[in-house]
Amino acid sequence: MLELNVILRYAPLILSGFSNTLIMTVSGVMLGLALGAASAFAEILGPRPLQVVTSTVTHILRGIPLLVLLLLVFYGLPLLGLQLPPLPTAVLAIGVRSGAYQSQILRSAIEAVGSAQLEAAYASGMDKLTAFRSVVLPQALRLSLPGLVNEFTIVLKDTSMAYVIGVTEMFTQAIHVAQVTLDYLAPLTLTALVYLLTCLTVSIVANRLYRRLSIPGLGTGVT
Amino acid sequence: MKEVLRVVDLRKRFGGKEVVRGVTLTVREGETKVVIGPSGAGKSTLLRCINLLLRPDSGKVFLDGEEITAPGVDPVKVRQRVGFVFQSFNLFLHMTALENVLIVLTKVKKLPIHEALRVAKEALQSVGIGEEHWGKYPAQLSGGQQQRVAIARALAMEPRIILLDEPTSALDPELIVEVMQVLENLSKRGVTMLVVTHELGFAAKVADSVAFMDNGQVIEEGPPEEILLNPRNPRVASFITRLWELYDIKDALASRER
Repeated sequence: MLELNVILRYAPLILSGFSNTLIMTVSGVMLGLALGAASAFAEILGPRPLQVVTSTVTHILRGIPLLVLLLLVFYGLPLLGLQLPPLPTAVLAIGVRSGAYQSQILRSAIEAVGSAQLEAAYASGMDKLTAFRSVVLPQALRLSLPGLVNEFTIVLKDTSMAYVIGVTEMFTQAIHVAQVTLDYLAPLTLTALVYLLTCLTVSIVANRLYRRLSIPGLGTGVT
Repeated sequence: MKEVLRVVDLRKRFGGKEVVRGVTLTVREGETKVVIGPSGAGKSTLLRCINLLLRPDSGKVFLDGEEITAPGVDPVKVRQRVGFVFQSFNLFLHMTALENVLIVLTKVKKLPIHEALRVAKEALQSVGIGEEHWGKYPAQLSGGQQQRVAIARALAMEPRIILLDEPTSALDPELIVEVMQVLENLSKRGVTMLVVTHELGFAAKVADSVAFMDNGQVIEEGPPEEILLNPRNPRVASFITRLWELYDIKDALASRER
């Protein structure tokens, strides 16, 4: 049976972890977007050696489970002389991994923008970077919005793995409550509901955003 | 008249096929030169080599006497002095008509915004795009309007020469007229242009000289009345005769202002 009184009593404690969940999600996705845009640019327009390096790094990052990556970063950074608290460590690992995925989302969107737009930008006298920033990226971002929103909800749920390196986020709090009350079902159900509601809210907001950013003749993937 | 563009023995190869096979031509200041010829003759490739969107394999291109194909010349800087108009318009799809012109002025010419706005509006007006269209996105404009915005975008940069790659080939017949009218006005204003087109009527009415290209080479060049009425080369003659059946060149020549 679901113990309602456990939920009510410990809800504030569990929810107190939500702020760290959000911090990790938002900063992870933003870091990922910056890294993803940079590596998509490098992979498409960069010199050949840079293309190879970027492609290799994104393959590696996409091939390692986040749980393993979190632990690797947490125990690996000190060996490199960098001692970070758990929260920034988690943001770093989550952001870097999300960057690898976002670079692929952006890359396919950039390819969908098409070479004619890039050619027109060059023909107008723009250099590579200006053409990318002013012409390709704004269109690619619109095309990739559905993919990026999806990535946001994935990262949101994946932040629960920061539990293993001791970040006091929502899932960590739920587990602590469970270990004290010996009731796992109630706190985890509450946690699941909060993740679910957050994801639903994000997709509702995203749909509004698609509409606001939509431009006639340019697909934004309104769902 | 001063020479703006000189192309010398230009060659470009794609894989095993040499598409441009030693083209030499010049365009003088204020001149409208029209390049005609069958599809696959290498006309578009020639234009793309001139503004360095493509690197020629050999040969030289001079802009205002400076060799722009020389090593160390920045193609970005060259393209800021050479306008280009595409067959399929290639407007920036996420920008309004006005923004399409503004962006090159602010990001490339680095004009302050108020100055850029003035120049952009002037350019749009000059191609007959009125204020009511400035806030429209490319998808909300007709093909003819899109192409005129594209011409305004090229024009606003005040290039030394504008290269036009079949600017009306993607347009319905009635829209061809409005774009051709704009080009005719530019020609009268003394804008230097190199136009690849199948519109012999335009060549007859507006061109100062016509070059006929086939199989990667300019095989005949001269004033329009010569190339369009009395071509010496039999290949040119047969091409023109066939098109003659489509367009009434004599009428256009007769209406030509001398």
